[in-house]
Amino acid sequence: MSEQIERAYQKQPGIFTNAKITRKKAKNKNNRWIKDVGLGFKTPKEAVEGHYIDKKCPWAGMVSIRGRILNGVVVSTKMKRTIIVRREYLHYITKYNRYEKRHKNVAAHLSPAFIGVQPGDTVTLGQCRPLSKTVRFNVLKVQKKVQKGSKKFAKF
Amino acid sequence: MGISRDSRHKRSHTGAKRAQYRKKRKFELGRQPGHTKLGGPKRIHEVRVRGGNKKFRALRLDSGNFSWGSEAISKKTRLLAVVYNASNNELVRTNTLVKGAVIQIDATPFRQWYEAHYAQPIGRKKKKEGQVESEELSKKRSKHVQRKIESRKEEAKVDFLLEDQFVTGRLYAIISSRPGQSGRADGYILEGKELEFYVKKIKSKK
Repeated sequence: MSEQIERAYQKQPGIFTNAKITRKKAKNKNNRWIKDVGLGFKTPKEAVEGHYIDKKCPWAGMVSIRGRILNGVVVSTKMKRTIIVRREYLHYITKYNRYEKRHKNVAAHLSPAFIGVQPGDTVTLGQCRPLSKTVRFNVLKVQKKVQKGSKKFAKF
Repeated sequence: MGISRDSRHKRSHTGAKRAQYRKKRKFELGRQPGHTKLGGPKRIHEVRVRGGNKKFRALRLDSGNFSWGSEAISKKTRLLAVVYNASNNELVRTNTLVKGAVIQIDATPFRQWYEAHYAQPIGRKKKKEGQVESEELSKKRSKHVQRKIESRKEEAKVDFLLEDQFVTGRLYAIISSRPGQSGRADGYILEGKELEFYVKKIKSKK
């Protein structure tokens, strides 16, 4: 299908798709392996029904979610299957009894199960094993940015 | 040699250059790649690795254990040629065996098994006269064995693309073991969508 873009054949490693046709006709539905990430996070429908192959997806891939769960706001979605999330926090200065704003950017892997993630959306991240030089988190839940009223003006 | 697998020599996430504050450690070591070649007498070197364990670095291999998924059998076969590598065309030219390399293997053990199991010819060119049937096909079988063969009749159909390969005697397979780690080149015969995908890639390269 259209998900075979790379030079090697993309597939889920455990699924055998070449069973003999003459045997009992296999259910025509998607021969796909999905797992539940646990901790109460719902499996997106697109992960179960979709055809994408992503070994770093928490539901259709080989990563487990364990450790910290963080929230943040999406800053950029320009990378392939990963996003930058901005986490703001207040740092206390004892001398002045006041706070200052600080932020950290976190790179997180975005599964193809989430479509239409825009900068400004709130996102929940779960910690997983290192997926690349800077990515140690995986997106588990996306909350779209709420448009107050019906703002017709959009960037495009 | 000094191949190390640390990340201390790399710039950090913010782009800052990290100062070196310690020497390379042995647990961060990397070794030279094996570049397992096809052919010649089998040559495998043992490497002592961390914890006292062994790795078998295959330097030359000529056979491997390959499984035919839809029939659920495995046979040891000769490797004939490396045909496609998704990462690097150089590895195809130099006949280097790595995991994920698409190769051609000798079809005879699989053909022998098929003809013994189903008593039907596979991949045989139609000869006009004086057709000499293979030994397995024309062997006399006991009644019990005959009954078993009859019950397998409907399942004997093999995919068209695969049968073509039996005619030439060379099957497309992909290596799924890591020859530089385990010392073996094992894999599975390509079938179905995967086979179509790689056949297309090979054709478009030629």
